Amino acid sequence: MGELRAVTYKITQHAGYSVVHLKGDVDLSTSPIARKLILECIEAKHSVLVDLSEVAYIDSSGVASLVEGYQLAKTNGVEFGLVNVSQAALDVLQLARLDTVFPIHASLDDLSKVMR
Amino acid sequence: MTTTKKISSEPVIEVQDLVAHYGSREVLHGINLSIHDGEIMVIMGGSGSGKSTVLRHMLGLNTPSSGAVKLLGQDITRITSKEIDILRRNIGVSFQGGALFNSMTVGENIILPLREHTQLDEKTMQIMCRMKLELVSLAGFEDLMPAQLSGGMVKRAALARAIIMDPKLLFFDEPSAGLDPVVSAELDELILRIRQAMKTTIVVVTHELDSTFRIADRITVLDEGNVLMVGTVDEVRNSKNKRIMDLLGRRVREIKIDAEEYLNRLTGEQVRETG
Amino acid sequence: MRQYAEKLGRATVSGLEELGYALSLFVESFYWIFFGYRRGQSVSIAATFKQMMQVGVAAIPISAALSFAVGIMLAIQGIHTLKAFGAESQVVVGIALSVTREFAPLIIGILIAGRSGSAIAARVGTMQVSQEIDALQVIGISPVRYLVAPALLAMMVMVPTLTFFADIVGMLGGAFFSVLELNISMEAYVDRTIKALTVDDILQGIWKSIVFAIIIAVVGFINGFSVTGGAEGVGKATTRSVVQAISLIIVADMAFTFYLNH
Ligand SMILES: Nc1ncnc2c1ncn2[C@@H]1O[C@H](COP(=O)(O)OP(=O)(O)OP(=O)(O)O)[C@@H](O)[C@H]1O
Ligand SMILES: [Mg+2]
Repeated sequence: MGELRAVTYKITQHAGYSVVHLKGDVDLSTSPIARKLILECIEAKHSVLVDLSEVAYIDSSGVASLVEGYQLAKTNGVEFGLVNVSQAALDVLQLARLDTVFPIHASLDDLSKVMR
Repeated sequence: MTTTKKISSEPVIEVQDLVAHYGSREVLHGINLSIHDGEIMVIMGGSGSGKSTVLRHMLGLNTPSSGAVKLLGQDITRITSKEIDILRRNIGVSFQGGALFNSMTVGENIILPLREHTQLDEKTMQIMCRMKLELVSLAGFEDLMPAQLSGGMVKRAALARAIIMDPKLLFFDEPSAGLDPVVSAELDELILRIRQAMKTTIVVVTHELDSTFRIADRITVLDEGNVLMVGTVDEVRNSKNKRIMDLLGRRVREIKIDAEEYLNRLTGEQVRETG
Repeated sequence: MRQYAEKLGRATVSGLEELGYALSLFVESFYWIFFGYRRGQSVSIAATFKQMMQVGVAAIPISAALSFAVGIMLAIQGIHTLKAFGAESQVVVGIALSVTREFAPLIIGILIAGRSGSAIAARVGTMQVSQEIDALQVIGISPVRYLVAPALLAMMVMVPTLTFFADIVGMLGGAFFSVLELNISMEAYVDRTIKALTVDDILQGIWKSIVFAIIIAVVGFINGFSVTGGAEGVGKATTRSVVQAISLIIVADMAFTFYLNH
């Protein structure tokens, strides 16, 4: 897929959530990795937070994976949210008017604060 | 326009001394253009000035007689067809008539580039398709055939297909031709939003002045196969060049009416003198 | 005089150009069929099957009707001619050989040229006019791989298949008339047909039909791709492709027959 970009990830536990920390570029070639990760956590009935603080670039396949995760979380009765959304990622979400759909938290320390 | 115009200095599209022929007729006489990352460049000019021809060369659909066309640093007149195919994954094009595949539904049209070039999950592709349809205000139309859409809808669906892969470069041929002013303004707004969110470099070919002034960072004015001027919206607006003023419609070409000659033209006859 | 020479020269050049183009289309199609997967662009099996349905399966009824009629016609003419020599019972051999070697491939070739060659030219011509071909190209999909290869492959499978089918139906048509006219039994007719025919006779027709298939597809695509000038251009290209394909089929048939029987 053109130049190869990489995405790396790490899963931590925080306040009853599985936090998926993504790092790098989430694009057409790497978003399937992120998707699989998120869906697996939700299948296991974990509430999931996706930490986007180290995501330099996310394209619409990445956003589509988040949408799918959120949908699956709802059917499985678990929670799903995004944290540390960078301005670049927020721009992409806003373009698709998804910033009003996802629960977006400002930081892991204060999950009660939902950023809009 | 309130959007901030962040323009880096690095050109992502460069046309150098482009000369093009149709048969033995030279229609482009050495075009030079350079378009920066994240910039919206509008190519305008009168009918027959060579806008579409320049666009076709930038897309690698025509081969130039001489000169170079560099996209994202690669000269497409020199690279192999395999390299150009890979390059094209970073390029989206919305053609004048939409050029949707008539044998496929709107949704299949939009997904086609993903199907051909990626290994994404079917579900992901469907969601991406619906996201793009939402973006162009065509939500729920994915199962229709292109023939069932109006002209404006076809244009928006074509835009959705052009941006499905989140291309770095987006080419747009006559976005507002044949659309009413409201729809056309909406489309302009959409072009600006796409650039804002995706940092896309956008090249628009048009002769609509309103649209040009709304979206352009810079304007290239073509005239009879030559670049007449490259400048910002204000520079073009304030240009004292006669040809450009003609194009902007600030000067109406004088039409003197010779009554007798005019009558001859209409009747196709010689007026007989009645004495 | 010089004018004519020049005209002829130009016609030759453009004819050679077209031949070169035809050859490159054919070669490129096979490049995609065999090596497409290496570039992540395989020729679609689904598209090929769809074409096979349209080219072959949908043409079964009309192919059956035409070849049955041709079989009857051959029987009538054969019996009439051979009666003069008192050899009307030899008609069985005549029908078997002329159907398999000549008439089945020719009838099917002409039928498919009219039916599917024109459809290719019309479809591709319309796509050319509406810039769908350009769109394919800028999406990074080779039109040859996406459009030509599946149709060419489908033709090269289905035209010989239909030809073989027409062999059988054609001979059945001949049998139908001969059995009634000559008062011989069906078993006897079939028996003598099998004795008269060799595998080579059947293969000769099949080889021809493969060549016809290539002609039909390539001519259809060349005309489709070269359409300019809107809907009218599409109409012209469609007509041109049928006329060219049928002419080339007949010329190729003659050359083939000459070559194979010398
Ligand atoms: N396929 C072609 N064959 C021959 N000449 C062509 C062809 N396409 C364009 N031309 C000629 O090339 C010149 C430039 O045409 P082009 O289509 O690039 O102009 P344009 O600026 O896009 O005009 P318009 O605004 O009317 O679309 C014109 O003089 C035109 O007649
Ligand atoms: Mg044009």
